[in-house]
Amino acid sequence: METACGSLLYELQIIWDEVGESDAERDRMLLELERECLEVYRRKVDQANRCRAQIRQAIAESEAELAAICSAIGERPVHIRQSDQNPGSLKDELRSILPQIEEMRKRKCDRKNQFVEVLEHIQKLKSELSNSSGYISTTLVVDEADLSLRKLEELQRELQARQNEKSERLKQLAAAIQRLKEIKIQRMQRLQDLAMSLLQLWNLMDTPPEEQHVFQKVTCNVAASENEIMEPYMLSADIINWVETEVSRLEELKTSKMKELVLKKKSELEDICRKTHLIPETDISLNIAIEAIESGAVDATYVLEQIELQIAKVKEEAFSRKDILDKVEKWMVACEEESWLEEYNRDENRYNAGRGAHLTLKRAEKARALVNKLPALVDALASKTSSWENERGIEFTYDGVRLLSMLEEYNILQKEKEQERKRQRDQKKLQGQLLAEQEALYGSKPSPMKNQSANKGPRLSCSGKSNRRLSLGGATLQTPKPDILYSTRATPNTQHAKKNDRLSHEPTRDDGFQALSSGRRGLDIAGLPLKPHSFNPPNAHEIESPMMRKPFSPISSTDSSKSNATNIMEDLNRKHNEMLQKTLTSNNTPFATPSKTISTPDEENRTPKTMAIPVPSTPSTVSVPMLTAITPASRVLESMKDEEIEYSFEERRAGFVLPKEHRNTVIQI
Amino acid sequence: MAAAPQSTGRELSSPPTDGISNLRFSNHSDNLLVSSWDKSVRLYDASANALRGEFMHGGAVLDCCFHDDSSGFTACADHTVRRLVFNYSREDILGRHDAPVRCIEYSYATGQVITGSWDKTLKCWDPRGASGQERSLIGTYTQPERVYSLSLVGNRLVVATAGRHVNVYDLRNMNQPEQRRESSLKYQTRCVRCYPNGTGYALSSVEGRVAMEFFDLSEAGQSKKYAFKCHRKSEAGRDIVYPVNSIAFHPIYGTFATGGCDGYVNVWDGNNKKRLYQYPKYPTSIAALSFSRDGRLLAVASSYTYEEGDKPHEPDAIFVRSVNEVEVKPKPKLLPNPAT
Repeated sequence: METACGSLLYELQIIWDEVGESDAERDRMLLELERECLEVYRRKVDQANRCRAQIRQAIAESEAELAAICSAIGERPVHIRQSDQNPGSLKDELRSILPQIEEMRKRKCDRKNQFVEVLEHIQKLKSELSNSSGYISTTLVVDEADLSLRKLEELQRELQARQNEKSERLKQLAAAIQRLKEIKIQRMQRLQDLAMSLLQLWNLMDTPPEEQHVFQKVTCNVAASENEIMEPYMLSADIINWVETEVSRLEELKTSKMKELVLKKKSELEDICRKTHLIPETDISLNIAIEAIESGAVDATYVLEQIELQIAKVKEEAFSRKDILDKVEKWMVACEEESWLEEYNRDENRYNAGRGAHLTLKRAEKARALVNKLPALVDALASKTSSWENERGIEFTYDGVRLLSMLEEYNILQKEKEQERKRQRDQKKLQGQLLAEQEALYGSKPSPMKNQSANKGPRLSCSGKSNRRLSLGGATLQTPKPDILYSTRATPNTQHAKKNDRLSHEPTRDDGFQALSSGRRGLDIAGLPLKPHSFNPPNAHEIESPMMRKPFSPISSTDSSKSNATNIMEDLNRKHNEMLQKTLTSNNTPFATPSKTISTPDEENRTPKTMAIPVPSTPSTVSVPMLTAITPASRVLESMKDEEIEYSFEERRAGFVLPKEHRNTVIQI
Repeated sequence: MAAAPQSTGRELSSPPTDGISNLRFSNHSDNLLVSSWDKSVRLYDASANALRGEFMHGGAVLDCCFHDDSSGFTACADHTVRRLVFNYSREDILGRHDAPVRCIEYSYATGQVITGSWDKTLKCWDPRGASGQERSLIGTYTQPERVYSLSLVGNRLVVATAGRHVNVYDLRNMNQPEQRRESSLKYQTRCVRCYPNGTGYALSSVEGRVAMEFFDLSEAGQSKKYAFKCHRKSEAGRDIVYPVNSIAFHPIYGTFATGGCDGYVNVWDGNNKKRLYQYPKYPTSIAALSFSRDGRLLAVASSYTYEEGDKPHEPDAIFVRSVNEVEVKPKPKLLPNPAT
């Protein structure tokens, strides 16, 4: 360069020399030349300076950026620039710093992306979890100053928390939905059950359609599935209550109708029984059944079935009884006519012509014919009844009494009456003789008829005390004779006349029997046998009032109320007994022996024990042996029968009751 | 102060105001302890006919017994077992059951109080400690049924329960009964009492019967057992049977008295199988009997025992009568040629 400039200068000098430039000019041009050269140098130097400054700045900037990034993300570059490293040139420095900065920029970018991701998620969850349904802006603001891991973790935790919250919420919602669904299904099922009941009840009771229509919206869903029922309030508690009320109303109606039906059937059964003179057996159990229906414990249809069965059974039995019952009817009619006839015969005015006298005459004739047929009728009836009994293996009962017994007693009665009549006649004869004698002696003649008719006393050889007995015996049993008392229980009040004697005796009714008839009139009202209870065996006298003592039944020693009358009754009893024994021993009934057995006088006429309570004496020296034979007690102690658990007196007094869990272990006595 | 003794004995003044559940003479004096449904326990001096003390409890008192002459124990329907000290009018609760306590006994042999309750347990208590169940309860022993009666003799305890069970324990080993038995009588047990000689016990039922039993389970032992009917009335050919509520053994002669709902007290000779005496009828059922320690006095509680439920009845009374030898002394068996 020196040579270039020097040669140029030489050249310039040559030129100037040639030109003849002045020295001043030459100096001036040289100065200018210097000056311009200097400027060019200066310019270049400045440029280089500037370049150097730029580089320095770039380095500083990079370093600042690096520091910023590092602080932001909280990390240092992998290769840390040693500060005491030999700096080398600036360009070297810049070169070394650039990759670091690249690296950190990248890392920052990554980190930022992570943040963005997390924050986006958070944002999303926020919007999901918040109840507002507004549009959430999607611009996210990331705080670039803090991109540290710590912050990132913090945000991640927040994200997790929100995610948990979200899942919690979702679970709750799911559970709530499940619950409501279950309730819906429950209610739906309940409603459907109720609807079914409604339909059944309507069907059973022929409910009118208008009434059914009210419940249309419920019954239309009776078979719907869960998703089909969507109408609001369809499954509300109100609806269900409404339907429940209706169902129970209908149930009650049904029960009462069933009960009505049962009662109706029951009365039908009773009716049939009554018509065929059977005692309905099932009173008690039917009443129990009816109560059970009311309480709902028993199905009424079952009870109805049972009653129907019984009705059928009784109808069948009634059918088989028809013949015999017809004959019984005829028998009773004949007995009525017989007694009417007796009265008629006693009527002294019967042959007086009066209004309707011819009718009564006709009736009397018919009655006589009937009475003639009576024995045959009775025999036929008895044999028919026997064969019926044999066929069916059970007794033929008439209003609870065995018909054959009734017939037997009737026959016995007739025979007795006949014998009594005979005896009366004998007595009369005797009396007649006496009177005749008296007449012969004294010439007076008391009227036999009036005495006897007025004498309502007994034909016994008892004293007049017997009248007192009559007053004890009850109003309708005014007749003294034992056989009359018999008759009040046994048969329609007729006189028995033996077949053989009937024709001969018929027109002559002893006046002595007026007493009989006057008494019997009291019994004549119904013309039918008295209540069946009186047919019970003599020991069952609890049924009657204590004063209507059956004859020949023992006087109970426990009836202290009768203690006053005992002596009298004892006498009468004995005498009655003797009498009847005489009459009865001559009986030959074709039927079984009477159900009442006449026991010996000793048993029957046992006087009641004195009722004094024994005073315990305390013998001073005599000791009493213990009663060591172990026999069961004759009296069961009712206090021990208390449900299944026995309690002592103290427990009862204290009101102590075993708690339930203990009761199973109790052992009964 | 005391009128001439009547046929029923002298009636104690200030009796309880409701039914009497039990009465007992002390082993040391003529003090008489009486427990009642009026929730009171009363201590009387029977000879002096004086009320010496009274304790009120929370419920009906169903049984009582002496400890020594100055203290006793009670069994109460409010489930408590109490100890009473008479001189100081002090009482405290020894412990509790889960149901009314029906019977109580004090065993001198073991120094323990034994209670039986309707909670189907037997409990043994140590009365020496302070009150409170933790300290004093020694053991609880389950019974097959509610306990109705207890009796002690020596080391033996006999427990009679509902359902006619009878358990015999040895007090020295309460973990399980020495014998598990069933009453020979067919009806509910009322009372059980051990013989003073410790060979067995008498058991009475509601059906007018007493069974005499023996602990010895061998054939020889069991051959001696028997039962007899008592407290019955014959009326119109049928027997009316009365519960036998109480049995008391004479401390000296070993004969025993029974009291029933018929209002009678009978004295029996168990060995000769005879009745020795019958006292005149008391106004109402005999609820309890007790002989004094020397056998000279017999206390009789005439108090309706609710055998026929709640009904009007005679007032409750306690009679103390002097006992004559002839009424309680056993008579030897008559020879084949009887003199009388």
